[in-house]
Amino acid sequence: AAEPWPENAALYQQLKEDQILLSDNASSLAVQAFLQMCNLPIRVVCRANAEYMSPSGKVPFIHVGNQVVSELGPIVQFVKAKGHSLSDGLDEVQKAEMKAYMELVNNMLLTAELYLQWCDDVTAEEITHPRYGSPYPWPLNRILSYQKQWEVRRKMKAIGWAGKTLEQVLEDVDQCCQALSQRLGTQPYFFNKQPTELDALVFGHLFTILTTQLITDELSEKVKNYSNLTAFCRRIEQQYFLGHDKDSSATVAARSAKRSLLR
Amino acid sequence: PQSLLQAYAKFSGAPLTVNTINNSWRALKVDVPVLLSEDIVISQPAKILNFLRKQKYNADYELSAKQGADTLAFIALLEEKLLSALLHTFWVDAENYCSVTKPWFASRMPFPLGLYLPGKMSRKALNRILLTRGAPPLYSLTEVEAQIYRDAKECLNLLSKRLGTSQFFFGDRPTTLDAFVFGFLAPIYKVSFPRVQLQKHLKHLSNLCRFCDDILTCYFRLTVSGHSPAGQDTADANLRKLTQLVNKESNLIEKMDDNLRKSPQHPPRKLTTLKLAAGGEQSSPLNRLSP
Repeated sequence: AAEPWPENAALYQQLKEDQILLSDNASSLAVQAFLQMCNLPIRVVCRANAEYMSPSGKVPFIHVGNQVVSELGPIVQFVKAKGHSLSDGLDEVQKAEMKAYMELVNNMLLTAELYLQWCDDVTAEEITHPRYGSPYPWPLNRILSYQKQWEVRRKMKAIGWAGKTLEQVLEDVDQCCQALSQRLGTQPYFFNKQPTELDALVFGHLFTILTTQLITDELSEKVKNYSNLTAFCRRIEQQYFLGHDKDSSATVAARSAKRSLLR
Repeated sequence: PQSLLQAYAKFSGAPLTVNTINNSWRALKVDVPVLLSEDIVISQPAKILNFLRKQKYNADYELSAKQGADTLAFIALLEEKLLSALLHTFWVDAENYCSVTKPWFASRMPFPLGLYLPGKMSRKALNRILLTRGAPPLYSLTEVEAQIYRDAKECLNLLSKRLGTSQFFFGDRPTTLDAFVFGFLAPIYKVSFPRVQLQKHLKHLSNLCRFCDDILTCYFRLTVSGHSPAGQDTADANLRKLTQLVNKESNLIEKMDDNLRKSPQHPPRKLTTLKLAAGGEQSSPLNRLSP
C-alpha cells in the first residue's frame, strides 16, 4: 500500500443548487458513494468552473495529495493503487460481470440522461440551458451552453442515438432498469453481502433520477416501477449518507427547489 | 453486424434468405444490413433481433431473467470496449484499410460507388472513435489508438474468463449473446490483416478461438484448417475465402427450412479443406458445399 489517504482530499463538482445537471450529479454521487463505501473521507467542493479544471473535462474529479483524478473508472484504479478495493473478494467471472454491468449503466443510463438534457428540446430550453450557464453573464451563458449542446448532439449522432425519439430512449432506460432489477433480485447488493463500485455507480444514477424534478416524471417513473431498485437506493442512502454531518449531496432535499424527496 | 445476424438466425432456426445487396446505391441512405419481411423493412441489428423474437424465433427462450440481464450487460461491454478497436482495425488503420477492407468492399459494389462508399464508411468510423474515445487527456490519434486496443484486449480477457470452459455463454445452447460475441470476434479471428495485434491477442485466448471454431463448424458448415500458417496467408487468399463464406452462407440459408432448431451435436458434414497457401500462391477455389 502506498501513502495513507490525506485528510484534505477534496471532490470537485459544479454548483449544487443552480448549475449542476442530472448526468453530472449522477456521476458525482456515484464517486461519493464509492468513497464512502471504502471509508475514505472526502469533502465536496463546488466550483462553477469544475468542468474546466478537470483533467479530462468531465466531473467529478478528486484532488488527493498532489494528484488529480477524474471519473469513476480512473478513481477506482487510483484508490486501488492506494490499497483500498471493494471488488477484491470477487472471482474472475464476477469481476467480468461487474465490468459488463458498469458498461451497461454507462451505455444506457448515462447516455439517456445526456439525451434527455441536451437533445430533448423542451428540457434543454427550460432546464438545461438556464442551469448550465447560470454562473456566467449574458451572452457568455448562452454561448457556452449552445457549444456544449452542439458537442453532445454530435456525439449522439455518431453513436446512433440522434435518430431516437424520447419514447425509444425511455424504453431503453426501462430495459436497463429491468436488467439491473433482475440482476439484483432480492440481494442487498449486486454481489450479495458487500457493496462494490457497481453498487456505487447504480446508486448514483438511480438516486439522481429519482430525486430530480424535470419537466415530466416519466424518467423517474420508469425506475419506480422496480421496487427492489428503490429499496436499494434507500438502503444505501441510509447506510452511507445519512447520519454524517459532512456536506453530502444525498441530503440536499430540503435545500433545493428542484428536487423532491425520495419517498 | 452481418455475421451477428446470420449467427442468430442459425441459432434460432429462422428461415432467412440473405440477399447480398447488389443495389448498393440504397446503402447510401439505408443502413446495411436490412431485413425485408413482406412489407416491413427493418435496419439495425438490435431491431432486427427484436423482430425475429416477436415472430417466435427466439434463441433466448430458455434463459432465466438474470441471464437475460447478463446478456444486455455483456452486449454493452462489447459495444463500448471492442467496437472501437474493431472499427479501427477494419476502417481506420491505414495499412489494413488500403490492402484489405477497401478492395474487398469496392469489389462487391458497382462502379462508381466503390470509389465513394468505402471512404465514407472509413470517415464515419474515425469520427465515431474520436467522438466517443478521443476526449482529453488523450490528445493524439496514436494515444487514442493505444487506449482503444488496451480496452479491447481487456474486453477479450473478460469474455474469456466469463466463457470459461463451457461451450456457449449460457450452457450448451447458443443464445443472443453468443451471436453477438461471434459477430464481433469472427471478423477479428478470420480475416487476415497486415496489422494483427488484436488477432494475436485473441489467438492466445484458446477458449474464445474454440468458441468461434465450434460455431463455424456446427452452424456454418465449414471445417477450419487446423494449422493455417498464421502470418503467411496472402491477403488475396483470405479475401477469397471470406467472399466464398458469405456466398455459401446465402446458399445454405435458403435450404434452412429443413433444418430448424439444429442442436449443437449435429455432425458437421465433411468438406474439403481450404488450404491456405504460403507465399504468393493463389488458393484454388474449392467446392465448399454440395448444394
